[in-house]
Amino acid sequence: MITLAAPTVMRIDAVALAPRVRERFGGELRRAGTFAQICLLGAQACLDAAPPRGALGMLWASGRGAVGAARAALAESAGGEPVMPFTIIGTLPHLAATLLAQRGAPLARAAFVHVRPGGWPWLLGLAQAWLAGCDRVLLGWVEEARESEGTHQSDWCVLQKEPGEWSCEPLREVRGALPATSADWLARVAAWSAAPREPLALRGDGEAWRFAAGR
Amino acid sequence: MASFVRAAAVASALAPEIAPDLAMPPVEGDWTKRAEAIARAVSAALKSRAGLDEREWPAMPCLVGSSSHFIGAREAEPEAELGPPVEFAARLARCFGASGPVMTVNTACTSGLTALALARDMIDAGLCRHALVLGVELANRLSSIGFGALGLLSASTAKPCDRDRDGLVLGEAFGALVVSGSGTWRIASAATEIDPSGFAAPAPNESVFARAMSAALAAAGWKAADVDLLKLQAGGSPSGDLAEARAVRGLFASLPRMVSFKGAIGHTLGASGPAELALLFSALARGRVPPTAGFRHADPEVGLEPAAADGSSVRRVLFNLAGFGGHVASLALARE
Repeated sequence: MITLAAPTVMRIDAVALAPRVRERFGGELRRAGTFAQICLLGAQACLDAAPPRGALGMLWASGRGAVGAARAALAESAGGEPVMPFTIIGTLPHLAATLLAQRGAPLARAAFVHVRPGGWPWLLGLAQAWLAGCDRVLLGWVEEARESEGTHQSDWCVLQKEPGEWSCEPLREVRGALPATSADWLARVAAWSAAPREPLALRGDGEAWRFAAGR
Repeated sequence: MASFVRAAAVASALAPEIAPDLAMPPVEGDWTKRAEAIARAVSAALKSRAGLDEREWPAMPCLVGSSSHFIGAREAEPEAELGPPVEFAARLARCFGASGPVMTVNTACTSGLTALALARDMIDAGLCRHALVLGVELANRLSSIGFGALGLLSASTAKPCDRDRDGLVLGEAFGALVVSGSGTWRIASAATEIDPSGFAAPAPNESVFARAMSAALAAAGWKAADVDLLKLQAGGSPSGDLAEARAVRGLFASLPRMVSFKGAIGHTLGASGPAELALLFSALARGRVPPTAGFRHADPEVGLEPAAADGSSVRRVLFNLAGFGGHVASLALARE
């Protein structure tokens, strides 16, 4: 069994991203694309609540990824103009790990992935496997706003081997577990953890996980 | 539990003298249909080599490492509704008859090796019996324009470790691996390092290469002298080849046999892990360490001279990859 710490749900008005970044990091994140900045804001908030101890893994996922920068790069290249280097850099979602390493996070391994809406239990299973070599794993789901005035999502938690406030484990039986998606399972765990009574069982594609208070 | 690369296949624009496998079809026609045709050809080769019962394939998870996914299709059909990247990966998985969970992995040029490491985690944890790992990088303008904008491309050809090297040459590849609990090549360890100073740098510094290789050796329980063959990242980058070379010379008191594939097939970005592994295994199965295409003149500052050699005695391989953003991966592989 592993435990979960610091479930962090962050919603960022797209127009407020730059001020939020300046507020948290004391300045702009030079050269960083929108997606990486969204990742970093949420991941750092999670680590603020559960500071890393020992080797840290970073496993985070998205449905669409750095779609804004990709659209911009495609538009620039289609126009026959040279694409700006920072537009290209903005298309690279994995750079969020480099940004986190710059801020002293002891990253032992990192992977950015895309999974299907029901694929989130796979991420928990992988994070659990990573705990064979990492002391903690930072697990996240990040999605850019669909419109320029929409809301960015950056939800994170820490999984660890050490005892913690909330335990989590895979269930053999998915029956009775509530359906959840890759985009909402972390928010549901965070809401439950604010006032946990009964254990929470959530299921994705063919797999379920159970969250309970204490270990 | 141990994990093995059970079978490998690759389609690439490769020189047949390096390691014959599948040739890429010309870049023409419908982008997505071409991708699926390549996938089916690689699938046929992979299945014939894996020797698995056909009933094993439908449940297999598929992990696709790529830095560009279907961006080529978006360029060709800007208005087409293609869905999220994972659905393109699912289309490719279906060409292999794999209907299990699908994941795409993007850590730039180390994507394919990251996917392999995740598949290894799954096998080791008992989450699946076999996993399909694909490394896919297919023709698109944006990768070329992007690497050009970053000033990383050669004006001529890729010349790994050569004194006249002047940058990378990009290539297409579709590599495929079956990772299982049994096979010829055991994955003894997989180590990754991130260079915090490498956010917008073309190559990690030498200490990051050194840490990745040292971590891979330590996790495998090997000493540097145990390595028979070093597969270099070396792609012809002036600074990248030098950083890797300095780390290699610092780690190995006596240099092992060495090879780089990027002069032969180009830098295939996120596909390079599975693609170069498939080429390596193919060559070693023929008893050869292939020549490093593009290497002609030794650079005293680099101090590495990859050369064709007898590969029949190669049992332990260290396999390096590095990617934009300071990510370095080093894989230790043991022939069982």
